[in-house]
Amino acid sequence: MVMIPDRRRPGAVMLTQSEKERYDRQIMIPEIGEAGQERLKRSKVLIAGAGGLGSPIAVYLAAAGIGKIRLIDEDIVDISNLNRQILHWDEDVGRGKVDSAFDKLSKLNPTIHVEAMRETIGEDNVSRLVEGCDLIVDAMDNLPTRYLLNGVAVERRIPFFHGAVRGFEGRAMTVIPGETACLMCMYRGPVPKEKFPVIGVAPAVIGAIQVTEVIKYLVGAGDLLKNRILLYDGLDLTFTEFKVKRNPQCAHCGHLKGKE
Amino acid sequence: MSVKVHVHKTHRQYTNNEAAIEMEGKTVGECLQGVGKKYPEMRKLIFTSRGKLNPLFEIYVNAESAYPEELAKRVKDGDEIHLTLLLSGG
Repeated sequence: MVMIPDRRRPGAVMLTQSEKERYDRQIMIPEIGEAGQERLKRSKVLIAGAGGLGSPIAVYLAAAGIGKIRLIDEDIVDISNLNRQILHWDEDVGRGKVDSAFDKLSKLNPTIHVEAMRETIGEDNVSRLVEGCDLIVDAMDNLPTRYLLNGVAVERRIPFFHGAVRGFEGRAMTVIPGETACLMCMYRGPVPKEKFPVIGVAPAVIGAIQVTEVIKYLVGAGDLLKNRILLYDGLDLTFTEFKVKRNPQCAHCGHLKGKE
Repeated sequence: MSVKVHVHKTHRQYTNNEAAIEMEGKTVGECLQGVGKKYPEMRKLIFTSRGKLNPLFEIYVNAESAYPEELAKRVKDGDEIHLTLLLSGG
């Protein structure tokens, strides 16, 4: 990735001619433009998980030109992953998911920097893993790690883009610490971990929504899923929106002051 | 007085495939108790052995979260309760 500083705007980076061509169709969108594309280029995004959600999330963020992507996953590719985890192919079974993902993303867009980390996200390392990132995208397959990431996002006052799936269903919500409800605002106790059923198009839909939110947030366009949770039902093909609100007693964000 | 309780798709096997059930009650808890009385399998799903709301459920009344005291939340004629599931997959 070539970083050309823009002397007229301190901290900004200019696009190369090749990047202007690569991203031409999205630069044409008034809400993005060259300034928005430059913003994407100088952003660093953490994708927590390289599975069903992580696959479309990583593909679309890489294709959109996010300058730096840190992708974290502990797992190796299993044949039962291939129905939905489209970053991984049959030849990748047995490889680390982040290694498989790194290869595909680097070929998709060699102009960005992909950092693949094969680690288990836990209390002891989450702070280090998030270090330097502008935001976190939730692509986890379990709730405890989601709450952990939600907590560190709130602590660092960086956005957390939540997504989850099951079967033909999914949900998405955007957490802006101090401004919106966070995941912990509605916490009602631990739930048992399950081997969840899922069809690949469910994480495809939800992952694409999460990426839409990330891009909108970075370029400052549109209305985010703030204080509203979006539920997707692929069987009925419906999207339903529910309002949520900050919990002043929330263990993660209750102490934060900010606009409601 | 009637409140409509929307049942999650995966639970309709326990409600004779009814997607929404008309219930009487002054609170969410009363309405859900009514659902449990009519469909005993639903009672086992919705409530823990101590009579609390199963943490797998999220409850919305008229498309707004009923958290934190969901069961005590008052409802009125024409209100709609959605029983949704907390999803954890990725």
